[in-house]
Amino acid sequence: MDLVRDCLDEHLVDRNKRPMGRVDGIILEVGTTGPPRVAYIELGSTTVADRLSPRLSSLMSRMLRRKSSDRYRIPWNKLRVGLNELTADVEAEATPALAWELWLRKKVIGRIPGA
Amino acid sequence: MKKIFEIALGIVTSVGGFLEIGSITTAAQGGAEFSFQLLWAIVLGGVCIIFLVEQSGRLAAVSGRTLPDAIRERFGANYFLFLYLILGLVTLLVLGAEIGGVCVALELATGLSFQWWAAPVAFLIWLMIWKGTFGIIEKGVSLLGLVTLCFVVGAWVMHPPWHQVIAGVAPSLPQHDAARYWFIAVSILGASISPYLYFFYSSGAIEDEWDESYVGVNRVIATGGMSFGTLISIAVLILAALILLPNGIKVEHYAQLPLLLVPVFGRWGFWLLVASVGIACFGAAMEITLEIAYMTAQGFGWNWSENQRPIEEARFSSVYTIIIILAVMLVLSGIDPLKLTIFSMALTAATLPVSIVPFLFLMNDSHYLRGYRNGWFSNGVVLVIIGLAFLLAIVTIPLEIFGGS
Repeated sequence: MDLVRDCLDEHLVDRNKRPMGRVDGIILEVGTTGPPRVAYIELGSTTVADRLSPRLSSLMSRMLRRKSSDRYRIPWNKLRVGLNELTADVEAEATPALAWELWLRKKVIGRIPGA
Repeated sequence: MKKIFEIALGIVTSVGGFLEIGSITTAAQGGAEFSFQLLWAIVLGGVCIIFLVEQSGRLAAVSGRTLPDAIRERFGANYFLFLYLILGLVTLLVLGAEIGGVCVALELATGLSFQWWAAPVAFLIWLMIWKGTFGIIEKGVSLLGLVTLCFVVGAWVMHPPWHQVIAGVAPSLPQHDAARYWFIAVSILGASISPYLYFFYSSGAIEDEWDESYVGVNRVIATGGMSFGTLISIAVLILAALILLPNGIKVEHYAQLPLLLVPVFGRWGFWLLVASVGIACFGAAMEITLEIAYMTAQGFGWNWSENQRPIEEARFSSVYTIIIILAVMLVLSGIDPLKLTIFSMALTAATLPVSIVPFLFLMNDSHYLRGYRNGWFSNGVVLVIIGLAFLLAIVTIPLEIFGGS
């Protein structure tokens, strides 16, 4: 498997096929012996910003003031790599990946008639 | 029979997407200032958009991915964000121009200044997207856009000198105002090769649940629809060359546009023009708004579909709501809608390489297209379009300075 080609930036869905976002980063663990091991994938706008510039990423973290929850990690062993997407064995709405979606639904869009 | 119906409907709706304020204005300016001499730019732009739309539709039908989807996956987050910022900004300006176009049509119809119409028009666009489905937006409004065929009827009735019209299809050098000539040529190309067309088309293919069996249908719709749209632009240029040029009228403000049809249809010509501009711009404004929301949601992997309720895709709905507010602020800022249109068309031309270069890689990727990859001919055409896009990117800003007004 080619991690960058087949995993990074791929679509991620939860166990019910609900879109969770894209794989914004991959976390490797480097032990004292043996080759590096893929430990997690990471989702979040600050993770994407990190790939552009660490300075932009820290600026975004400060702006969002949600540093602890903006980056969301999913252990590699909870992922299944499919042909067109990655499936995470989690419930999307119970994770921070959909925090913005749920906030907008509750506070803004859900309050507009006809939503 | 079902596919024949889909093809016919697809061609009609593609026309609705193709013709907007940019193509009408730039074609009218070309005809009014350089007779039939700039027809080649419309034809060249038409050929380019046929290939790009066909390829974006084929990518979606075979891989199940839209263009932003595939660009994010294949080129990574950094390139996608670069494309997103540039295309988002340019498309927002084009959206401002389209909303301005609807408002100008209403100003012509009522005499009430276009700025008064900005908020009601924006609200109507938002409401259609909020309550409507993809089918209503794609087919309903686009079918109404058939009123723009009045330009073709008008051009035919005026009996243009066909040998001169055909001669205009071959590129030629200007006899006067070279900078202005090339600036209008660039604006025509920018209006024809609109990235929102091929981005929206690929999202539409997913909304309509196309699969591999639609590759042939896609080819016919892309070719037929874009050719049909090009024909209407050609008709606008012919009318401007026959009516505006002999009277020394240059298109400097939108109030002059009815002069294109009044000599042909009399009083009805005025109302046909108002309806054509209003409906074409309204349809284009909805498609552009959706296109920006689609690009955002697809690039970031959110839930998206015009066929879902807004509450099921709150981020997607929020994006198109914000986009409409930003665009209406642009109109309310007092910028002349004609200047905004011409500027946004030129800027579209200047930024084309960013959205066209990915085609060369995506359309040859067996991971996405399997047996439907580009052949040598399609790749050759894409390379020529990329060359043209880079040329436009280089010359547009100097031409904007020396030939823009």
